[in-house]
Formats: sequence, C-alpha cells, structure tokens
Amino acid sequence: MNVVEVSHLTVQYGSFTALNDFSCEIPEGCTGLLGPNGAGKTTLIKTLLGFVQPKSGTARILGDDVVASGPSIRQKIGLMPEQDCHIPGMTAVSFVAYAGELAGMPSAQAIRRAHEVLEHCGLGEARYRNVETYSTGMKQRIKLAQALVHGPKVLFLDEPTNGLDPRGREEMLDLIRSISHGKGVNVLVSSHVLRDIERVCDRVVVVMKGQLRATGTIQELKAIQGQPLDVEVREPNHAFASRLMEIGAVVGPPKNNVYRVQLAGDVRQAHITVQTAARATNAQIRGFRVAERSLEDAFLDAVQPSEPPHILHAPTATGGVQ
Amino acid sequence: MASPIADVSYRDYDGPLFAARYRWWVIAKQGILLASKKRNLQVLSFVSAWYYLAMIIVLFFVNQGGSGGNSEAGNRIMEGIMKNVVWKDQFLHGFSFAQLPLLLVTLVLGAGAIANDNRSRALLVYLSRPCTKLDYLIGKFVGIFVPIFVILAVPTVLFYGYCALSFNQYGFLRDAPWLLPQMLVVILMSAAFHAALVLAVSAMFDQGRVAGATYAAMYFITNFFTVAMSITWATSDGKAPEPVKHLFYGSIDGLQIGFCKAILDTRGSRPFVGGQRGAEANLPVPAPPLLAISLILLVIIAGSAFLTWRRIRAVEVVG
Repeated sequence: MNVVEVSHLTVQYGSFTALNDFSCEIPEGCTGLLGPNGAGKTTLIKTLLGFVQPKSGTARILGDDVVASGPSIRQKIGLMPEQDCHIPGMTAVSFVAYAGELAGMPSAQAIRRAHEVLEHCGLGEARYRNVETYSTGMKQRIKLAQALVHGPKVLFLDEPTNGLDPRGREEMLDLIRSISHGKGVNVLVSSHVLRDIERVCDRVVVVMKGQLRATGTIQELKAIQGQPLDVEVREPNHAFASRLMEIGAVVGPPKNNVYRVQLAGDVRQAHITVQTAARATNAQIRGFRVAERSLEDAFLDAVQPSEPPHILHAPTATGGVQ
Repeated sequence: MASPIADVSYRDYDGPLFAARYRWWVIAKQGILLASKKRNLQVLSFVSAWYYLAMIIVLFFVNQGGSGGNSEAGNRIMEGIMKNVVWKDQFLHGFSFAQLPLLLVTLVLGAGAIANDNRSRALLVYLSRPCTKLDYLIGKFVGIFVPIFVILAVPTVLFYGYCALSFNQYGFLRDAPWLLPQMLVVILMSAAFHAALVLAVSAMFDQGRVAGATYAAMYFITNFFTVAMSITWATSDGKAPEPVKHLFYGSIDGLQIGFCKAILDTRGSRPFVGGQRGAEANLPVPAPPLLAISLILLVIIAGSAFLTWRRIRAVEVVG
C-alpha cells in the first residue's frame, strides 16, 4: 500500500507556484524528499497536512484524501517541523503530554507515553526542564518526541538535522533509522543534506522548482545505465584496455588504477570477459564491482534545469569518465 | 542520555485516541491550569475583590455595633445607616473598583497567549494535530475567559450571600431581586470583552511583553479620555452636551461600567455610605442606553475575534 499518493497537485501562494502539477507515489518505509532550498519540499509536507489548500490535484495519505478528511487525518501523522517550535512555559514532559492530548490521547495515557517517548529520544534526564532552556540538539529531539507521542503511522521530518553538531547529527540519524525500520512507522524525511538521506532512507523523491525530477530507491538513483563495471587493476595496463575495446567494450581512462568498463550482456558474462582479457594481457585484477555514481552526482543530474520532469536520469557508463 | 536501566526501544502507541472533537477544551484546560499556578494571579484576584472585602468588614462592624445587645436604640441606628445603602450600587462599586486589577489579571492571562505561541512557533504543534484554527481560537479564549469570570464572580457571589443572609430584613432581596443574575451577566460580558480584546492584541505580536504593553496603553489612553469627559461633565454643572454623557463610557473599563449601570438600572452613588445628594454635576454620569452599549460591546468582541482569526496562520504565505 502506498503511504502517500499525490496526483497532479498544484499549489500556489498568490502568483508564486510552489508545486506545479506534482505527482508521485511513496510506498511504505523511509523515504527522502530531496531538493534544493525553495524546491517545494516543505510546501508538499504542509499540503499533505492540510495547512495549504491546493489549487488543483489530489493528495492521499494512507488512502484518505487530505482535503476531504479534514483535520482528523492528522491523527495518523506526526510532524517534526524545520523551525524550532515549542509551547512556552512548559517542561518537556508536560509539553509532550500536551501534544499527545491534542492528538486525542487520554491525559493519563499521554503522560505515560510522554515519559516513554522522551526516554527513547534521549531526553529522559532532562524531561522536567523547561523546554526554553534546551540546547539546539535537545530542541531537535523534543520536536521528534512530540511528533511521535501519539504513535503516528506516518512521520514527516522536515530538515531533522538542522543546526546539529556532527555527534548530534549521528545520534539523530540513528534515532530516525531506529523508528523507521521495523517499527511500522513510515517516515518522510525532507532534507537537502544528501548524506543524511542516504544514511536513513530506502527511497528518494527529488523535487525541483515544484516539480518531480526523480523517484525510486537510492540504488536505482545511483545506478548507471548499462550496469558498467569498475575494474581495479594493480597498475594501469594499456594492453588490457585495448583488448577489451577490441571485443566491443567501452573503456574509460584509468582513474586511481580503476577502469570503468561497459560490456554487452549481463554482469556475470561481463566478469568472465574481463577476466579472460586480463589473463591474455597479464593484467592483475584487484577487484570488480558494479559501477555506481554518488548520490550527489545523481541528485545534480536530476535537478539539472534541462532535464524534463518525472524522468529518472541515468547516464551511460562513459558519462564523466571517458 | 537515557537511564542505563531504561528500555529505550521505540514502541508504537496502541492505546485509545479520541475523535477530533472538543480539542478546544484541551487547549482551554491547559490555559486554565497554567493560570491557576501563577502566584501573581492569586494575589491580583484578592486585590480585585478589595471593595467587597472592605464592605464585608464595614458591614460586619456596623451590624455588630448597631445591633449590640439587640436594643431598640441600636436597631434604630442600624435602620438609619441601612436606609442610605443602595444595594445594587455596592455591586456596581465592587465591579468598578475591580477594573484596574482586572487589567493586570488580563495582562497576566492573555498578553502572551498567542504572542508567545507566535514567538515559539507553537501553532505548528497545535495545527499539526487534529486541531482547527477554530479549536485553537476557542481554546485560547476560554482559557482566559474562565479565570477572569471566576476571579470576578467568586467575590460577587460571596458578598451577595453574606448580604442575603445578614441584611435581608433591610430589604436586600426585596430591593433588587434579580441582582445576582444581573451581576453574572455583567461579569460574563466583562470576561468575554477582556478575553476577546487581549487575544486580538496578543495575536498582532510575537512578544508577550509588547502585546501586554500595547493592551495597557490602550487601557490607559482610553481611560485618560474617560477622565477628560468626567471633568467636562463635573464642570458643566450638569449642562454638558448630550454626547459627553455617553463619551464618558468610551474606554475599556468605561464600557464595562456603563454596561453594569445599564443592566442594574442605576447611575451609582457614593462608595460605602451610599446616598445621592447635591446638584446634578456632583452626581455620577447617568447610565447609557442598555441596547446601545450592549451592541458596542458585542461588536468589539466579534471584531476582536475576527482579527484574531485572521492572524492565526499555520504557514507564512508569500507572494
């Protein structure tokens, strides 16, 4: 079942179009919403929460239309906003319990659950402190705790690692990963930090100027068309490269003793061909792997202005190497 | 960090969740709970009831002294004093003298109600839950309205009870049989007026202190206007033009005092001793027309609620 289904969604703020005929489907699991600042990520989240009325199109969460369902749909959703947000004058435990009550929990359950969630988010010792005295890292954690308190089925995290030091960032990513994997909570992480997305998400949706640029698993996004191989040799061997080219392979120049080789046929057959060529030219092979580009390269390709929307861009093996 | 013995693995919540109704009550309840914990509010509650407390002390000693030994002379003295007391005017005074402390109560309760939420972007917490803008608005309103109502109503009811039990033979219940319901209507209107107005001011700012200063400025500037009209009235020997009488009520507390006078159908008298003597200019300004002042109050309440509604936004709209 898809967690989020968006179809031809257009959202405008006055004359500015924040989302333009945006369509995508997000399955269960942890999905990253990637895009540069101002791409429309936060607008998409706010539209899914019903904060913004779309001009046209539909959006569904867990099968419920976000416009028709009204506020009741938010009972299934937790939001960790990008900006700091808390209720002034409250301790962490009363704030999180209050957030639970607002979501519909009975007050006794909300208090019990608030303690539990704060403990999980690493704020157990600081739960009786006023939230306004918290550090940036603690404020990020309490935002996560208030989003989790009512046991949402879908969690929207908007730039969850903003303002965190490296250690805090790692801890936050660990927390997100522990929630999103095997706990039945579907997570949509909006971020422009590619390493964070790669660390916690299984899939990505790339947004640019309010349009969908690419969607799929991270492996799919990083894959290079034609499944080329990166062949690491002991030292550059021109005879080896020439031999491969004679049998129809496309071979890039060596980079750190690695040739990028694209051959016809499947990966197994390509392995055999490369080994045969190496044996014939006395080249020493140190390693094979299916070549892939970095998520950063994949993202930059996806958000190139010339690229048409909705197409997962996958360059050929020669791209950027030959 | 987590306690070493704690089980910190994440567990899903599988307990009950109430339907998305009556969320406003959760917000209101929180407002009332926070108010009940404020020490300065408890002190101000006592201060706002000072006239009733003073009257209870005065009446107690008068009663003790006048009826000492249940002598006939004592009873005559008591009747002489009580003859001058206009009971409904005592409630008007109690309400009027509570206005300044009530301003402070309102500031403590309401100045930061929305302004502080704006500052800390708490709206995202509220509106990402099954809460609507209306729930938020009603919850915040009730969270201010109920404490103000209680702070005004409790001393009024206590004073009424004391007078009904002790001075019924001097015509307390006979002279103004509808006094308690009338006073409760006045208090309801006053609490609604203060709550709506302070919320509107609070919604305009993102600093509770700035909102509070603005509300206080509104109170004192309009109050200065009231004083000016009062002096005009007093120096005119009762011949001031007709509008002056009504402009006297052109302030935050003036509107409420005017409404109280109109409901109780009295122009008031001197505090404590009562009685109305002297020339027209020395008498309090007459009560305004009930319908007109009620309409003005209701329009201000509705207008304030509309302004607040317009200012509550989950997202910043650009373009």
